[in-house]
Amino acid sequence: MNAPRHLTEEDRQTVADGTLDPQRSEEIAAHLGVCASCAADVARLEKLMRRLHDAPVASAPSSAPLDEMWSDIRARIEQTKIVPLAPLGLAGAVTDRTAAVRRRSLWLSASLAAAAVIFIIFERMPRGAQPDDSAPASNGIPMSVVAESSRVYEQEANTLLNDLELQRSLLRPQTAEAIDHDLRIIDQAIAELKDAIAHDPNNRSLRQLLASSYRQKVELLKRAGITG
Amino acid sequence: MVIAAIAGTMFGPFAAAQTAKPAEADGPILGARAVSPTAAFNIVNPAGSVRIIGWDNDSIVVRGRIAPGERFYFLGGREGMKFGMYDQAANQPMRPAQFVIYVPKRSTVSPKTVSADISATDVSGVFNSVSGAIRIRGSATSIEAESINGGLDVDVAAPWVHARTGQGHLLVRGTPQDVDAATIGGTLDVASPAILRGRFASVSGDIHYVGQPAWGGIFEFSNHSGAVDFLFPRTTSARLELSSVVGLIENGFDRVRPAAVGPHSLRINLGRGDAQITARTFKGVIRLRPE
Repeated sequence: MNAPRHLTEEDRQTVADGTLDPQRSEEIAAHLGVCASCAADVARLEKLMRRLHDAPVASAPSSAPLDEMWSDIRARIEQTKIVPLAPLGLAGAVTDRTAAVRRRSLWLSASLAAAAVIFIIFERMPRGAQPDDSAPASNGIPMSVVAESSRVYEQEANTLLNDLELQRSLLRPQTAEAIDHDLRIIDQAIAELKDAIAHDPNNRSLRQLLASSYRQKVELLKRAGITG
Repeated sequence: MVIAAIAGTMFGPFAAAQTAKPAEADGPILGARAVSPTAAFNIVNPAGSVRIIGWDNDSIVVRGRIAPGERFYFLGGREGMKFGMYDQAANQPMRPAQFVIYVPKRSTVSPKTVSADISATDVSGVFNSVSGAIRIRGSATSIEAESINGGLDVDVAAPWVHARTGQGHLLVRGTPQDVDAATIGGTLDVASPAILRGRFASVSGDIHYVGQPAWGGIFEFSNHSGAVDFLFPRTTSARLELSSVVGLIENGFDRVRPAAVGPHSLRINLGRGDAQITARTFKGVIRLRPE
């Protein structure tokens, strides 16, 4: 018996988003019943569309004035801030350019002075000292920065995963298989590291290894986008 | 040397092919034209092989053999060109084509293949393959080589090398200066005394570093479950900070007193401690051995 022809990309999309011509539904359903490859692909598309449908919609309308949008943006920055933002009044005084420039110069001077002090402290630290997890890592990166980089990589990985799902039907089967295999290895490593961090949240090495694993995942997904 | 033997096994056929001179033996001319010495070339060949050679002429010559019925394109101008095989649909079988391409040494190439092997000499660029082996040698200004699961052999003199593969074997040698190399499950071998800044990572593949780290070099090794092996000459001058969350650390420099030792960490200065080396794993073993 001849192998059945696969559904076209358009057919798969219309089945997944429910816009398939009713006259063809019987024929398509029959094919999906015997073709595991197309059925799996349609299931993936349906899952992706559900995810897109369930995603939260931006609360501010696109026509909202900038001042109204600022409160939302500010709230989101505040959630992830390290240094508190200036009071709202300062943000509104955008017309006073001289004051803004002066403030920027002050901040710059203060930052440079702080950086110089930190540099001197680290340069004078005894190099033979015992490792201490409460201090910055040997490469001078504070724990908060290491944790933040993991979070950023994780977000980027999720975005790239969605992109990969969108173009999965265009990938050659061997390519998709190789990518999935590598993703499983990385995800297993990430799961082990997260589990270890749950038991030892202040272990800097674990955090750095987690950031490294996420970086590997992001790079693999980017590679998949280029070579796939 | 062990690494040279591994490379010979992996890329032996390439080594023979690299010595070939421009000749009809490479196949008929598929395309040729005068180009700028710094032109950029996008090259597509899903299956077969791509051999790229940098030469001292301001022109490009493409020789090769393509399967009957397959379509070859050769488009662009002096500053940039794209050429190759029209890619078949994902579910169509790929028929191999062999390209031998001569480009100006200062040009930038971007070959992209699925299963075709890529070899390049004296050119810079971005090399991509899904499962084909990539071998780059000679001099270059920058090299980026990425494969999903093909092997990579980067043997160049270049200021900057970036190399990635999943399950393939990745070998870095020659005299690159800044190197960022990583695998997921493949073995990563590093054998270069010239690296000044190196970042090497894997998830489950072993990492081997062989040789004398450069004076003032800074190296970072990271692995999850694979091993990190250092094989240093006894004259090595480096400061090492090795740590593993649950893995073992084996120190073969037993005549040198460590600066600090913990159950899963070791800090040790070899010689004057000129190079700075950090290695961390989750459960992979870290071995420090003298040559």
